Amino acid sequence: MRILSRAAVIVAICGAVAVSLFPFYWMVRTSVAPADETFSQGISWVPTRIDLSGYGRAWTSGELGRAMVVGLVQTLGILALQLVTCVPAAYVLAKVRNRATGVALTMVLVGLLVPSQVTLIPLFVGVNVLGIADSISGLILPFCTSTFGIYLIRQQIMSIPDALLDAARADGLGHVRRLTSVVIPIAAPGIAAFSVFSVFAHWNEYLWPLLAVRSAELRTPPLALAAFQQADVGYDYPALTAGAVIVTAPIVVLFLLAQRQFVHGMSGTEITE
Amino acid sequence: MRVNVKRSPGDGTRRSMRREGLVPMLLMAPAAAGVTLFVLIPAVLSLVASLFRVPLTGGAWTFVGLDNFGRVLDDPAVRQAIGNTIVYSAITIVPSLVLGLGLALLTNAAGRGRPLVRTALLLPMTANLVAISVVYAWMFSHPGGFVNQVLAVVGVAPVNWLGEPGTALYVVALVGVWRTASLTMLVFVAGLATLPATIDEAARAEGIRGLRKLVLITLPMIRPTAVFAAVLAILNSVQVFDTVSVMTGGGPLGSTETVLTMTWRIGFGYFDLGTASALAFLLLVVLIAVGVLQRRTLSGWGR
Repeated sequence: MRILSRAAVIVAICGAVAVSLFPFYWMVRTSVAPADETFSQGISWVPTRIDLSGYGRAWTSGELGRAMVVGLVQTLGILALQLVTCVPAAYVLAKVRNRATGVALTMVLVGLLVPSQVTLIPLFVGVNVLGIADSISGLILPFCTSTFGIYLIRQQIMSIPDALLDAARADGLGHVRRLTSVVIPIAAPGIAAFSVFSVFAHWNEYLWPLLAVRSAELRTPPLALAAFQQADVGYDYPALTAGAVIVTAPIVVLFLLAQRQFVHGMSGTEITE
Repeated sequence: MRVNVKRSPGDGTRRSMRREGLVPMLLMAPAAAGVTLFVLIPAVLSLVASLFRVPLTGGAWTFVGLDNFGRVLDDPAVRQAIGNTIVYSAITIVPSLVLGLGLALLTNAAGRGRPLVRTALLLPMTANLVAISVVYAWMFSHPGGFVNQVLAVVGVAPVNWLGEPGTALYVVALVGVWRTASLTMLVFVAGLATLPATIDEAARAEGIRGLRKLVLITLPMIRPTAVFAAVLAILNSVQVFDTVSVMTGGGPLGSTETVLTMTWRIGFGYFDLGTASALAFLLLVVLIAVGVLQRRTLSGWGR
């Protein structure tokens, strides 16, 4: 009986893993298969030979090469701005209590409730008024700060004992020095978790770039892939799936390298082991 | 800086005290400006815009009262989109939650393979939605996609999954479940990890196992986690956009059009930002209701 239920668990796990991974497998398989095998009769689990020409077509005629650069600039630009704005604010909201920080904290909590999708239209009008529509600034600036980032990093800073900061203060360290030499090193896990989350969220963001960008040179990776799909590439599935691999790979690698931070950033909790 | 501490109380200390009060404001200022400019003001404006006729690239707004709401709710295409969103949500939220919990329990039962299994099951959550939509569209393509190849093996004629009004929404929903279950699983894994080991021992001592243990002990104890997972699943479903946009573009015959793709179409296809804002505002009402529901459920159970 025990062995039976153990076997059922293992079968269920294998099934779940297979369903989870199958689209990834099919994506990679199609991308490395020769084009003339795409529509073969019957199911071919493994291509007869490896043909990487789809990657070349995705990179050049799909313009994913340029899009990757745009994506990198956009994602890292947003991350840098968010860290510069969120970390100090999180520190102040965690450790300074007065009327102004009370109001600011309420602003952050209200902001957390507002889904970005709903603010898109005013944001779009605003970006046009500011004259940064269809520019890299238009992709980056609206996300220059993050209420989620402030919230997550603040949670981490709250756990720093006040006594430690008081001691630093008695040593004559001002707010800025206390932030850089005491708070940031201790809050590093929370900051790392948020960073991973931010890169993940903005690399994958589709709706805002779709709105903010008109010219082809400014397309982010998801945008370029969608445009490639909608363009007249017929049924060049090796190139399309190669494009999908290119867009997916950086985040999958990031996830595999920083799974702990990833989980922390997504769920607000840490995993052990 | 040390000088301040050593100096006797007086002018210097007071000045440093005042500076101690000013510095936090300066540290907070960039974030406060960002949140105000890019989150709070747009949120208020989205309500205001829904009462106006809004030109696409700036210029004077004309007040039209509740006209936009009336227009949007009268539009059969919008009603269809709202209906589709309800159907989509109904068929993704519950399966995502049940599967997510099941996957989390399975992961915990995986023994030594646990980190590996967890990594594999979390991958769908990390996938770029546009990329994975391209892959699913290919898998469900007509007539030569993977699914139709499998059907051919068992002698079933190919189905135009994404081209038929009767099936397209379900295929998009399948992608939604595939991904959202991975997300809710993550939340459940984190929640289950907070359960003290003594609970397991006590349950074993009492002879409570399996489904009974799940319903009587585990679920009530991870109630906040379950609510959080539900909120994430609801938010993901109600705001579905990327998959629809890439896989079907809202078609065929509007059968996969959702509230957000419709907002997009009205705003940036028909350049009617006021009406689009009205629809977006209706979405906001639903989302805030979800947030309030979460608050109430959680506080009710905290007692």
